[in-house]
Amino acid sequence: MIVGDLKPIEEIAASIRGYRKVQVLGCGSCVTVCRVGGDAEARDLVRRLSHPQHFDGAPPQFAVQTPDRQCDRDVLEAFLEMDPDTDAILSLACGVGVQIVADLYEHLPVLPALSTTFMGGADEPGVWREKCRGCGDCLLGSTAGICPIARCAKRLLNGPCGGSSGGACEIDPDVPCAWHLIHDRLVRQERLHLLYEVRPPRDWREAGHEGPRERRRTGIA
Amino acid sequence: MSYFQVNDRCNGCLACVQCCPGNALDYRDDPEQRTLLHNMTRCARCATCWRVCPQDAVELQHLLAGGWDEVVSLPLVRCQVCGEPVYTARLPEGLDERVAPLAVPLCDRHRADDRARTVVASRIQARAQDRGGKR
Repeated sequence: MIVGDLKPIEEIAASIRGYRKVQVLGCGSCVTVCRVGGDAEARDLVRRLSHPQHFDGAPPQFAVQTPDRQCDRDVLEAFLEMDPDTDAILSLACGVGVQIVADLYEHLPVLPALSTTFMGGADEPGVWREKCRGCGDCLLGSTAGICPIARCAKRLLNGPCGGSSGGACEIDPDVPCAWHLIHDRLVRQERLHLLYEVRPPRDWREAGHEGPRERRRTGIA
Repeated sequence: MSYFQVNDRCNGCLACVQCCPGNALDYRDDPEQRTLLHNMTRCARCATCWRVCPQDAVELQHLLAGGWDEVVSLPLVRCQVCGEPVYTARLPEGLDERVAPLAVPLCDRHRADDRARTVVASRIQARAQDRGGKR
């Protein structure tokens, strides 16, 4: 899922200062599950922003809605109810949702309440870790299900650097070395030969280095 | 039937309601009863309720592998040769006149069969004439 962090309350308050009627949009998908941008967090944010300390005069008037997803423009367009007096939108979606809403309500400022951080999973309750960078050419089949692009600080593709020590990365002793993990798991699976295979250089255009990526599904688009 | 189910251990403590990030759980206190409420459209199936329940009362499996709800039931038209279902009786009603003739009660296999098409077309024609005669 997409994981985000709530921006500091002062930064959010500063971004909506001067607006009188603010529509707050939670998102019912990833950011609900990672406990940062769902309906509960949207309402909690409104409670906190309603404190007069954040504004010179009275706080803005807030309304809260939490669509199932902010990343489907046609569904938002059909079902989101926007008060015509709204003069700003505060979105608790990831950057994808914020942009879809900004395209849909082009006449309004759409402000992010979150900073989108990574694509990750919950290894344990309440702990999300980065797992994928969306590189467009998945190599997990040969790296024992551990992505070196997402989990090696240097994104190395051919084994660990000299900073790997005792299974830890040199950036932080609490961060495991991805290549150490890959090596050990391949040994356990008796598939270490995969690391000896010579692979062609990667085409990084698939990773978005050739501009924004697009996929059109036949029969839908 | 609700997909969110609890077992007999639920004591109505409302930990699940307080922790649900989607505000998909709520409760109603009547004079004599506390009723736990669940709204499936708000539920992200994140399993927070299951994790936080001190009574181990949330039967999450029903949310993860629910059954099928019947949505609508319409009369079916079958291939007049082999009986394979082809479309519902309501489908030809809304078709443009340019494509309406294509809605013959034949499956793909028998639609390609000239003889079957002729037989069915004559049947349809005979039935139409019969209806006209009765009027």
